[in-house]
Amino acid sequence: MGQLVVNGLALGSIYALVALGLLLIFNTVQIVNFAQGQLLMLGAFIGISCAVTREMPVAAAWAVTMAAMALVGVVFMVLVYFPLRGRPAFLVILTTIAMGIVLENLALIIWGPLPVSLPSPVHGPPLRFAGVVVSMHQLFIFATLAVILFLQFVFLTKTRFGILMQATAQDLHTARLVGIPVNRTIAVAFAFGAVLSGIAGLLVAPIFLAEPTMGGSLGLKGFVVSVIGGFGNLPGAVIGGLFLGLVETFGARYISSNFRDAYAFIVMITVLIVWPRGLFGEKSSEKV
Amino acid sequence: MSCTFSKIPIVVATAICLSVTFPHESKAQAATCPSPIPLGLTTALTGNLALLGTQARNGVEFAVDEINAAGGIEGKKLVLTTEDTGASSTDSLNAMNRILEGKPIVIFGSMISPHVFAQTEVVNKSETPFLVGATNAKVTAQGSKWLFRTHVHDGQLADLIPEYLVKSLGKTRPGIIAVADDYGLGASRGIQASLAKLKVTPVAVTSYAPSDKDMSAQLLEIKDKGADSLIVFGRPADVTLVIKQMSDLGIKLITIGNASIVAQTTLNNLSASEADGTYAIGGMIPQTSTDAKIIDWAKRVQDKYKVPADNFTVSYYDTVYMLKSIIEKVGCNKPAIRDALAATRDWKGMLISYQADAQGDLAHTLGIYRNKGKTPELAGPIKESGF
Repeated sequence: MGQLVVNGLALGSIYALVALGLLLIFNTVQIVNFAQGQLLMLGAFIGISCAVTREMPVAAAWAVTMAAMALVGVVFMVLVYFPLRGRPAFLVILTTIAMGIVLENLALIIWGPLPVSLPSPVHGPPLRFAGVVVSMHQLFIFATLAVILFLQFVFLTKTRFGILMQATAQDLHTARLVGIPVNRTIAVAFAFGAVLSGIAGLLVAPIFLAEPTMGGSLGLKGFVVSVIGGFGNLPGAVIGGLFLGLVETFGARYISSNFRDAYAFIVMITVLIVWPRGLFGEKSSEKV
Repeated sequence: MSCTFSKIPIVVATAICLSVTFPHESKAQAATCPSPIPLGLTTALTGNLALLGTQARNGVEFAVDEINAAGGIEGKKLVLTTEDTGASSTDSLNAMNRILEGKPIVIFGSMISPHVFAQTEVVNKSETPFLVGATNAKVTAQGSKWLFRTHVHDGQLADLIPEYLVKSLGKTRPGIIAVADDYGLGASRGIQASLAKLKVTPVAVTSYAPSDKDMSAQLLEIKDKGADSLIVFGRPADVTLVIKQMSDLGIKLITIGNASIVAQTTLNNLSASEADGTYAIGGMIPQTSTDAKIIDWAKRVQDKYKVPADNFTVSYYDTVYMLKSIIEKVGCNKPAIRDALAATRDWKGMLISYQADAQGDLAHTLGIYRNKGKTPELAGPIKESGF
C-alpha cells in the first residue's frame, strides 16, 4: 500500500509539472497548448544530447536544456501563436496539435526511434522504511515540484512581471492600451511554459526513458489534470496531478491494469459533471 | 572458397560471399524480369511503432543495396519503394494501396500484425506474393495463398516459454505482464493456455497500455500474490521499464519473455545487474553469433542505421536473399514466385534454415537466451516440434 502511494505520487508529480507549464501559457493567452507533451519530449532529448552524447556534467546539461527550451518556447509562440492571434481559439488549438506531430517526427529524424535513458542528477541508495522503497530520484521529483510551485506562485503574485502577465490574461487589449509590453509578456509565458515542460522531460527521462512518442500521453494527462484541478488554478493542478497519479496506480493494482488510461478520463468526466469548473475552478474554465 | 576484400568494396565482397554461402539456382529465368525489378515495402517508420518498423526497412534495404552493389539479379537492379504505415491500420491500408500502384512483383509487409491483417485482402486481390514478419499466429491462418511469414510467431513462443519456465527452470507460480495490444494480449492468452496444459495457473495476469510508463502497480500485484517468476511479453522500450522498475522496487524474480529482453535496445538502457539472469525465447539474434561474417554484418548495419540489428532485421534480410534465389530460379512471374515460396525446403539463411509449412510459415527455429550481465548468451536453438 505504502509503495503504491509513493509511486502514485511520483507519477502524479510529473503530470502536475506538465500541467503547470500548460497553465502558465493558458493563464496568459487563454490557449490550451496541446503540444506541451511534445515540448517535454524535446526537453528530454536535448538533455540526453548534452549529458549522454556530449558527455556534459548533468547539472550543465540541465542548464543548457532549460536555456534551449526557453528559446524553443519563444519560437513556438512566433510560429504558432502570433500568426493566428485574434482568430478563433480552436484554430490555435488545432495548430498546437499539428505542431506536436511535427515535433514528434522531427525528433524521430534527429534522434531516431531508439529509447534512451538520461542519468539522474541525484545518486545514492534508495530510502527504505516499512517495506517501502523511495528512490533518490523520486525524492528529487517531489522536491522539484514543490520548488517550482512555490517559485511560480511567488512570480505570478509578488513580482511586477507576474502581475503584468495576469493583467494581460485578464484583457489583452486593455493591457496594451495602458502600456503593458504585451508581446514581451506573452513571450515570457511561452518561454517559461516550455522550460517547465523541459524540466518535466529531464525528470521523466531517467525513469521512463526518452523516445519521440513519449509526449503524447503525458501531455494529455497534463490537460486532464488541469481540468480536474480547475483550469487556471496552480495549486489545483498540483493536487489534481497527485490525485490522478494515485487513482491510476491504485486502479491498476486493485481494479484492472487494462483500464489505466481510462481512469484518467473517467475521473475527468466525473469531476466535470459534479464540479463543472474543476475542483478549484475559476471562471476561466468556461473557455476550455 | 575464400574472399579477398582488399581491392573491392566491402559491401560488394560481402554480397559475393553471401551469394556463395547461401545456395542459389540457375539464373536463366531472371531474363524474364523487368528492369529494374520493382519491390514494395510497407512498414512503420513514424509513430510509436517506428522502432519496430525500421528494423524491417533496415533488413530489406540493406539486402537490396548489397544485391544491387553486386550487380543485381542477372544484371537487373532491384528498386525498392517504401511506404510508411505510421502506427495506424487505416494508414497501413492506404500505404499498401500506394505500393500496389507501382505494380511490384513482391511486397514486404511489416511485423505489425494488425497492419498485415488490414492489408491482406487487397494484396490477395492483386495476386502479389506478400512476405511478412507479423507475429500474430493467426496471420498465416487467414487462408491467403499469397502470404508467407519469414519470422517465428507468437504461438510458437506461447508454447515454448511456459514449457521452458516450468520444465527447465522449475518455476510453477509465474506472474504474467504483457503489453495490452494485439501482440501482447494474444501472447498472454496463448501463454495462459500453454500453462494450463502444464497444470500451472499463473498467480497474476496483468497488462499495461502501450503508452504506459509506470508498471509498478502491476509488478507489486505480482509480487504480493507470491509469484516465483515473471513472464513478460512486450516491446523493447516497455520491457526495459518492466525490468528496471522490478529492480527499483527490489523485486527479484526469474524473468523470461520474448526477444525484447535480449534486444540491444533493451540492454543499452539496463545496468548489468538489472539485465543479468533474464531469459528470452524468440527469433534468432545476431548478437550471440561467433561467425566473423555475421558479426561484421551486424556492425555494418549498426553503422549505417545507428540502430542495432535484431531478430527482425535478420529475418527481413534473409527474406530478400531468399527472394533473389527464387527469382534466379523461376523468374519474375508472380504465381511462380508464390509456388516457389510454398515449396521452400531447407533454404539456409544467415542464422537459420527456412522451410514452408502448409500455412505459409517459413521460420521454425527459435533461440533460448540468457543474459550474462548485459551480454545475451545462446542457451541453444530449438525447433518447433514437427520440424
